[in-house]
Amino acid sequence: MADRKDLIERVPFGETVLSMEHITKIYDNGFIANNDVSFEVKKGEILGLVGENGAGKTTLMKVLFGQQTPEQGTIRLGGEEVHITSPLDALSYGVGMVHQHFMLIDSLTVAENMILGAEPGKGILFDVKEAERQTREVSEKYDLKVDPTMLVKDLSVGYKQRVEILKMLLRGARILLLDEPTAVLTPQETKELFAQLKKLKEQGFSFVFISHKLNEVKEICDRISVLRLGKMVGSANIGDVTEADISRMMVGRDVALSIDKKKAQPGVPVLKVRDLSHVNKFGKFAFKDLNFDVRAGEILGVAGVEGNGQAELAETLTGLEEVQTGHIYVNEDLVDDLSIRSLREAGVSMVHEDRMTYGLSKDQSISENIFSDRYYKKEYLKGPSLDLKQISQRSKELIGEFSVKCDGPKAHISTLSGGNMQKVVAAREFSALPQLLVAAHPTRGIDVGATEMIRKKIIALRDEENTAVLLFSADLNELLTVSDSIIVMCEGEIVAYFPEASAVDEQTLGEYMLGLKRMSDEEIGGVLHG
Amino acid sequence: MDKFLDLFRGSVNPTVRVEKRFSALRLLIAVAIALFIAFLLMCTVSENPGKDFVTLLVGPLTSKSRTISIFNKLIPLLFTGTAVCLVFSCGQITTACEGAFYFGAVAATVVAVIPGIPAFLHIPLCLLVAAIAGAVIVMIPTWFNVRYGVLTIVVALLVTNVFVFLGQYLVANPLRDPTAGFEASYPFAESAVIPTIGIRHIHLGLIIGLVLVILGYYLLYHTPFGVEIRTVGNNQKFSQYSGINISRTAIVTSLLAGGMAAMGGATEILANYPRFVFTGTTNHGWNGIVIAVLCKNNPKFVPVAAFFLAYLSAAADALNAASKIPPEIINIIQPIIIIFVAATQLLSFWEHRAIVKASEKMLKEEK
Repeated sequence: MADRKDLIERVPFGETVLSMEHITKIYDNGFIANNDVSFEVKKGEILGLVGENGAGKTTLMKVLFGQQTPEQGTIRLGGEEVHITSPLDALSYGVGMVHQHFMLIDSLTVAENMILGAEPGKGILFDVKEAERQTREVSEKYDLKVDPTMLVKDLSVGYKQRVEILKMLLRGARILLLDEPTAVLTPQETKELFAQLKKLKEQGFSFVFISHKLNEVKEICDRISVLRLGKMVGSANIGDVTEADISRMMVGRDVALSIDKKKAQPGVPVLKVRDLSHVNKFGKFAFKDLNFDVRAGEILGVAGVEGNGQAELAETLTGLEEVQTGHIYVNEDLVDDLSIRSLREAGVSMVHEDRMTYGLSKDQSISENIFSDRYYKKEYLKGPSLDLKQISQRSKELIGEFSVKCDGPKAHISTLSGGNMQKVVAAREFSALPQLLVAAHPTRGIDVGATEMIRKKIIALRDEENTAVLLFSADLNELLTVSDSIIVMCEGEIVAYFPEASAVDEQTLGEYMLGLKRMSDEEIGGVLHG
Repeated sequence: MDKFLDLFRGSVNPTVRVEKRFSALRLLIAVAIALFIAFLLMCTVSENPGKDFVTLLVGPLTSKSRTISIFNKLIPLLFTGTAVCLVFSCGQITTACEGAFYFGAVAATVVAVIPGIPAFLHIPLCLLVAAIAGAVIVMIPTWFNVRYGVLTIVVALLVTNVFVFLGQYLVANPLRDPTAGFEASYPFAESAVIPTIGIRHIHLGLIIGLVLVILGYYLLYHTPFGVEIRTVGNNQKFSQYSGINISRTAIVTSLLAGGMAAMGGATEILANYPRFVFTGTTNHGWNGIVIAVLCKNNPKFVPVAAFFLAYLSAAADALNAASKIPPEIINIIQPIIIIFVAATQLLSFWEHRAIVKASEKMLKEEK
């Protein structure tokens, strides 16, 4: 195996170390993820692989890491053609990948996670001391501090990522593929990651950095390659292009990076949350003593590092979790004990963050998914039967209105792309003309076009229907551009309230999200409107 | 039939077209493989496997009585097939329809041996009592599942045993006719016997069964409750989020399915036998599962699938009469077909290739 690693080692600094040529990958659902894609990486550089969601970045990396078999194409390491058929294979050549969703086992320690798959042993017994020694050694060698004895579940997101990177380094990876490494990090954590990457780069490591955050790409990368709809649009040295250039290459047209939006005209509170607390199944507070209002015609954004109680709050507000202590009022009516159907009938709509599990039923048709909250209503019945003609007609209208790209209302959800799936969710939830919309990560993982449309529709609901919107998002840019005002959650509590979203910046939000700062109770109390 | 025609109609998405083609191909291959294995097994026991294999293929068509027997065997399968389609559609993977079929026959017997009830009342009364008993039997496992999270199939197997033993006790004791030379119930009253529809062995159950097939299809695909059943069966979390009452949907569906399966048992015993003679379960509920799998839980296809199973069974009888081949060999065919139909990865290599080709072609056309 040592000679395999040699392919990368013997390449001099600055020369091409990895090239992928004419890669084509077609998935079982007929989706062409990569179409004749070629690009190369030089030793000691960070290559930014950018493109919209669904452009094929992750697929390309999975092909390189041996998780997907391409239909066509060759991979060369140090000029020599290699056949990578599994992640273990990739690692044996010195190619490592850090996935968007961490591949760590929460209940094991850092050291145990590090050596998973190559466990050191004493006879048939697992040698814990050796695992910890190896972890410490690699941690010191590359100056990435970790404590081998900590349990992964007690680590912060940034820390977990460091463990992932170290794990790959321990396995001898010399080329690292980072799939949207900053998506889950706060601005401060991102800065720290970038410092680490720069250090490793100088030691001769090469990186492929996947992202669609242009400012980060601009900051950290040496070169970029741009993918659009599965095709390689081009590569450039980072110094030669501006952010606007990159975004034009990604989307194929000029995009408005900001949204036109009138100033909000908030009315009376539609949602009132009072002293709401939730204890999770581990006996810990997910959120504690929350008090806030969302007014009609207002979009209240909720910022926070994931896992600080936002998910539980969204589920409690939408009836998926029981109200444990405290009260929720919608239009002054107590809704603590209402069933989800009654909540929906009271004018509450909900976009769940997990669209594949909660938001949609993938083996049913588009029209059944759009009608899942209203199929029983009188206007869609003819005697005891469903008025299938009218349902189909109305579905077609909504498919048009939300520009869902599909075979028609009978097409199954599983035949759609991610962005179009989310448009179906939006078509259902927004067409209910809600008085309160609880939207959790409505644009996560979907392309720019769909994102733009969904954001505009949310603002349209605010303006035309006077809907009160509670918007949860991990995308700070989204929060800042779409919301009218923002609250920040940290460790289950509201630590800041900004009445004017436009007056805040990402840096400030980050400080509150990480718990570095906290507003006075009086300032936070501003989110109550009566 | 729609689905069959769809194979030839164009879909905008070529992948869907390829998937449909391979789905049909898998069924054909499954049947071919099963027949081939049956042939191999026949070679081990038969002196003239070629001739016996022909008997297997066309035996049921060689005489009028055999052809009629296909339809006689098909009738109970309409009931259990539709019942299992319903309960599987809401995601309750249960075997309780087997118990419901058997005990439905027992419950019908209890009413059928009572003399002096007018015919127009007696038969409906038998069916009603059977349906109530069956509904309870299929509902119990589902209730444990939605209330306590117990696996439905575990309770279903136990409940079936309980009711089979209860049935055997009833038949051997209070219902037992001591004057009969074998263990059987008192004879059914004349008024409880289900009449034929003009052809010997083809009884009114055929009409009732077909009506239930149509009702089952209508319920699943044309009513709001059907939407609930299928949504719950496809994705419980999505159903909850959409505001559907999952427990209620599962319980009501199980009641309906149990009622149907039990009515199948009741018509089977009251039409074909003078008294209760089943010594144990009859496999009709299991065959209902086979049918539901073949139909992908759509009652619309139940008559076709039921015909197929009935034909195989009639072929086994024909073979048994014409040669030394035990009918068990034919019973092997069914599970083999199911295994291959359920094996979605069968042909996946070629399916992937066809999809790649279709996608590439579409790509070229776009250019």
